[in-house]
Amino acid sequence: MPMSATPSSTLLSGYRPLQGHHDEMVDAGGGVTGSWRYLADALDALGPDALRQRREQVRRILRERGVTYNVYGDPHGLQRTWDLDPVPVLIDSAEWGRVEHGLQQRAELLNRVLQDLYGDQELLTRGLLPAELVHGHDGFLRPCHPYRTDLAHPLTLYAADLARGPDGTVRVIGDRTQSPSGAGYALENRVVMARTLPSLFRESHVHRLALFFQNLRATLSGLAPGRDRDDPHVVVLTPGPLNETYFEHAFLASYLGYTLVEGGDLTVRDGRVWLRSMGRLEPVDVILRRLDDDYCDALELRPDSLLGVPGLTEVARRGRVAIANPLGAGILENPALHAFLPGIARHLLGQELALPGLPTWWCGDPESCEQVLARLETLVIKPIDRRAGEPAVFPGTLDAAGRDALIARIRQAPHRYVGQEQGRFSSVPTLGEPGLEPRLAVLRTFLVGRPDGYAVMPGGLTRVTGHPNDASVSNQAGGLSKDTWVIASEPVREAALLTPEVTEDGPTDRSAALPPAATENLFWMARYAERAEQSLRLLRIILRLRASDVGAGTGAPLRQLLAGLAAISGQAGDTLRRDPADDALVALLQDDSRTGTVAFNFNAMMAASHAVRDRLAPDTWRVIGTIRRRLAELPSPLPVDDLPAILDELITLLAAFRGLQEDTMVHSRSWSFLETGRCLERGLLTSAFLRAVMVTPLDTPDEPRLLDAVLEHLESLNAYHREHHRQPRPETVLQLVLSSETNPRAVGFQLARLESRLASLPAAGAPDRLSAHQRPVLDARTSLRLSDPEALLPGDGGRRDALDSLLRRTADRLGQAARALAAAYFTDPQGPRQLDPVGDRGGEQT
Amino acid sequence: MRYRITHRTEYHYPQAISRSYNETHLAPRPTPTQQILAHDLTIAPRPDYSSERVDYYGNHVTHFTIQRPHDQLAVTATTDVSLEVPADPVAGKQGLPWEQAMAETRGGTSAAALGAREFLLDSPLVETRPALADYARTSFVPSRRLPEAVHDLMGRIHGDFAYDPAATTISTPLERVFRERRGVCQDFAHLAIACLRGLGIAARYVSGYVETAPEGGGARLIGADASHAWFAAYDPSLGWIAFDPTNNRMPAQQHITTAWGRDYGDVSPLKGVIFGGSQGQRSQVAVHVQRLDSEDSP
Repeated sequence: MPMSATPSSTLLSGYRPLQGHHDEMVDAGGGVTGSWRYLADALDALGPDALRQRREQVRRILRERGVTYNVYGDPHGLQRTWDLDPVPVLIDSAEWGRVEHGLQQRAELLNRVLQDLYGDQELLTRGLLPAELVHGHDGFLRPCHPYRTDLAHPLTLYAADLARGPDGTVRVIGDRTQSPSGAGYALENRVVMARTLPSLFRESHVHRLALFFQNLRATLSGLAPGRDRDDPHVVVLTPGPLNETYFEHAFLASYLGYTLVEGGDLTVRDGRVWLRSMGRLEPVDVILRRLDDDYCDALELRPDSLLGVPGLTEVARRGRVAIANPLGAGILENPALHAFLPGIARHLLGQELALPGLPTWWCGDPESCEQVLARLETLVIKPIDRRAGEPAVFPGTLDAAGRDALIARIRQAPHRYVGQEQGRFSSVPTLGEPGLEPRLAVLRTFLVGRPDGYAVMPGGLTRVTGHPNDASVSNQAGGLSKDTWVIASEPVREAALLTPEVTEDGPTDRSAALPPAATENLFWMARYAERAEQSLRLLRIILRLRASDVGAGTGAPLRQLLAGLAAISGQAGDTLRRDPADDALVALLQDDSRTGTVAFNFNAMMAASHAVRDRLAPDTWRVIGTIRRRLAELPSPLPVDDLPAILDELITLLAAFRGLQEDTMVHSRSWSFLETGRCLERGLLTSAFLRAVMVTPLDTPDEPRLLDAVLEHLESLNAYHREHHRQPRPETVLQLVLSSETNPRAVGFQLARLESRLASLPAAGAPDRLSAHQRPVLDARTSLRLSDPEALLPGDGGRRDALDSLLRRTADRLGQAARALAAAYFTDPQGPRQLDPVGDRGGEQT
Repeated sequence: MRYRITHRTEYHYPQAISRSYNETHLAPRPTPTQQILAHDLTIAPRPDYSSERVDYYGNHVTHFTIQRPHDQLAVTATTDVSLEVPADPVAGKQGLPWEQAMAETRGGTSAAALGAREFLLDSPLVETRPALADYARTSFVPSRRLPEAVHDLMGRIHGDFAYDPAATTISTPLERVFRERRGVCQDFAHLAIACLRGLGIAARYVSGYVETAPEGGGARLIGADASHAWFAAYDPSLGWIAFDPTNNRMPAQQHITTAWGRDYGDVSPLKGVIFGGSQGQRSQVAVHVQRLDSEDSP
C-alpha cells in the first residue's frame, strides 16, 4: 500500500515509527492502518506547508481564546498558551467499543471500592486490600467516613489515563478520582480542530463530545439534595486564577452555565452552603469541585487551607449539599491499587479486568518488596499518595548513592511505595520538523456516573511528549495535546454525530449570581482599563503639544499638563519635569515594574480579566489577547518616534474593549459593576487632573492653549466649539468638564451615573436609608451642584482655592464610596483563622 | 469511684468576630471500665447550628456554628462518670512476648487487629524516627512481655523527661521534645507513641482527665488544671492497655477517658475556625475533677 498520495510530499514519506514501540498509524509492515488511511491521504494531499499553516492557525485561535495551562516555575510567566497539534489521534469504533466497556467496568469497580472504604471496609476484613493502603494513604479522610448510602455513584466523575504497550494491549496507567481535569481542554481542542480543519473533521464521521457534557449536567442536577427541585443551584469551586487549570474551570463553568466561585465566595450558615452574591446569600445545592478535597474545609480537613469553605464537611455529611466528587474520593488515586484490583474485580464483579493496569508490586508485602528491590532498575518507584510531593523515581537513572537512599526510604516505610513496570507507550504522528514524527502518547478518558451506569466521553484528551526522545508525558513539563477522534463506522450511529458541538460564541455570563471575587475583579478590571486609557490620552496630547510647542510660549501649559499626567498616573512629580526626557515618557508607557504606568495598569487589568474570564465574551477576550500581544511585541525601549502610533492603537483597542462589554453585557449584573468601577475611576482621575491643571490660573495666551488641551483630553473639544464658537474660557470649560451631567467625560456625569447605579444594587440595609457607599456619592454630587461658579473662578489671577477644595472633596468622597463598596460586595480580605488550640496540657499529679 | 468533671474553655477576642465554626471532643466515651452517668455541654453564646455525631474512632463529637458577631466564647462540659478498676496486666504478668505481639498485630485481619494496624502507621503529629525507636529498644529486651516492656518505657520517659509547660507549645515538634527532654503530657504521649510505632507496636493517643492529688494533703485545686493525655498500646491477647507517662502509672481509678485517636489532632477537645474581628485572641481552660463519693459530694 503506497503511503503517500503525493510522492513529493515529505509529510508521511519520512515517518519512521520508534524502535520497540507500537505505532498508532503505521503497522509493523510499514503500512498505514485502515482507520488512519483517510486522514493520512488527506494530510498528504494538504502537504507540510499547508499543515504548518493550520498549526499556526490553531495557535492563533488558542491564543485569542486565551486557552492557557499555567506551568509552575515557568520563567515566562504563569499564563502559558495551551499547545495543540493539528494531527488528531484516531480510534475506530470497534476498538473504542472495547475500551469503553473496559472503562465502564473499571469505573463501576472503583465506585464499589470507594463505597466499601467509606462504608464497612469489607475489602479489608476479607484481606482483598491491605489496611495500610487505606489507613496509610493521605486521601483517606476520616471525617468523611462513612459516606451516605443514598448515592448510587459517589465516584461521580472518573478519568483514566490509557496507553498502549508494545504488544498492542491498551492499559490503564493512572486513575483520577479526586477532581479530574482535562475534559474542558478536550472540548476546547475539539472546537479549535473543527474550525481549523472543518472539511476533514466533517468527512471523518467523528463522534461528538457534547453528549458527554449533557450527561454531566444531568448528573450534577440529579445530585441536588431534595430531588424534586427543578433548578438546582450548581457552582464550580476553583482554587482561583493561579491554579494550573484555571482556564478549564472558567471554560466549563461558562459552557455548563454554572457560577464559578472561590472558597471565599461561599459560606456555611444554618447547616447549608450559600453563595454570596451582591451582598445577599443564595443557597447552593451542588458543588463541582476543582479543589483538592483536603483543602475544602479548614475546620475538619486541612487547618492551614485558606481556599475552602469552613464547615463544608458537616454540610456534606448531613446531605444538604452534594459535592462532585465527594470529599475523600482521592483515596482511589493510589498506584498500589493496580496490584489488588484484579482480585477485587473477581470478588465484587465476578469478572476479570477488561482493561489491565501496569504490572505493579506493593512494597508493603515483604515478598513483593524483595522482588521490587531485586529488579529496581527496570521499574518506576511511586509513593502510594502525593503526601510531601514525593515524585515518582526511575531508579535506572540514579547513581549508587541515590539508589541506596531510595532503598533506605523504601525499607523505612515499605507500605508507602510500589514498584511498577515502566510502560513503553505507543507513538502517534505529530507535526514536527520537517514532517510528521512519532511521539509517545497517553490518552485521558472521562466518565460520568448516570443512574444506569457510566457514560464515557467518546475520545478524550491525548497528550504527547514534547520531543521525540522524551520518555514522560506531562502538561506540567510542557507537553503537547491532541484532539482524539473516535471514528463512527456503523451508519446507525450517525445520529450521535448530529449533536452539535459547542457553539463557540455562545452566551456568556449566564450565571445570574455575582460572587464577591468576581465582583471585585470586574470592578478593578474597569478601573485599571480607565487608568490606562486616561494616561494614554494625556500622553498623546502632551506629545502633540510638545511637538508644536518648540520655541513658542512660556511652556506653562505643558508644565501643567505634565503635572496632570503625574497626578493621574501616580508618578512622583520629578520624573515628569517640565521638559521630560523621552525615556521618561516611554517608561510611563512601558515600564511595568512601576506602579501606575500604562503597562502596569494593563497587566493589572489583564490579571483581573483572567479571573472573570467566564463572564467575558470571546470577542472581548480576543481584544485583551491583542493588547497583551502588542505590548509584548514592542521593542524595549520603544523609540520615542513610534510612541504616537502605538498610543493611537492602544486607545483604539481600549475603545473596542469597552464597546464590546457594552454590547454583550449591558443587562447583566456584571455590567453594572464594570460601569460602577469605570465611573468611579473616571471621576477620581478627572478630579485629580483638573486639580493639577486648573487650580493655578495661567496668563493669556497660555490659558486658552491649556484649556484646549484639557478639552481635547476630556474628548470635549467638539462639544465646546458646537456650543461656544470661540476661544475657550475657564468658566465655560469647567461647566463642560466638571459640572455637566450630560457630558460623558465630566465629573458631574460620573457622579450622577454612579448615584443611579448604586441605587440599583441590591441594598444590604433598609430601603429608605442610604447605604455607606451611596452617601458619599450623594454628598459629592450635591456639593458640586451647589457650588458657585463665580466663587470657583474668582478672576483675580490668584490660586483658585475653592476649586481646589471642591475637587479634593469630590475625590475624597469617591474614595470613601470605593471602600464602602469593597466592604459590602468584595471578598473579605482577612479570610479564616484557626482558634488557638489549647491542647491536652494538664494532668500532672503532684 | 464516681467523679464529676467540669471542663470550661473560654476565648476572648479583642474585637467581635463575625462567625465561628467549631468541633468538640468533650463528651467522655463509655469503656468497659467507665460508665457515663450524665453529660451536659453548654455553649455561650448559643450556637445557631449544632449537631452530634460519632467519629471514625467511636468518639462523641459536637459540631457547632455561631454566625452572629460575638467577642467571647465559653464552652462548658460537665460529666458524671463511674469508674471500675481495670485489670493490671503488668502486675498479673499477662500479655504476649513483645516480638510475638508485634508479629500478630502486623498480619492480623480480625476486626480488632485491623483496627489496631492503623495505629502502627505514622500520623500527622507522630512521625517515627530511628532515634526514638532506639531509645525505646532498651526497654524491649528479648521475649519480655509487652505490658511489662511498655511499663518500663513509661518509667524511663517519666524519669528522663521534665514536666515543663513553658518548654513546649502545641506545635513543638517531637524531635525537639526528645532533644530537650521536657514537655507536657501531650508531648510525652506522642513521644511514647512514636517510640512504640517505630518498633512495630500499635499505639494510640488517649485524651481525658486525671484527678490531681491534693497539694500537701489540703483541699483539691479547683479549676487550676487542663485536660490530660496518655497513650495505650495493643497486645493481641489483651487488647488495648493504657499507660500514663506523665504520672508514671497505669490509668486506673483516677483517669477519666474522653476520646482516642492516632494523635492529638484526631481528638482535640475544642477546635475552631473564625472569621472577622482583629488579630489576637485569649484563651483560658479550667478543668475540675471532683469526687462524687460520700465524703466529697456536695
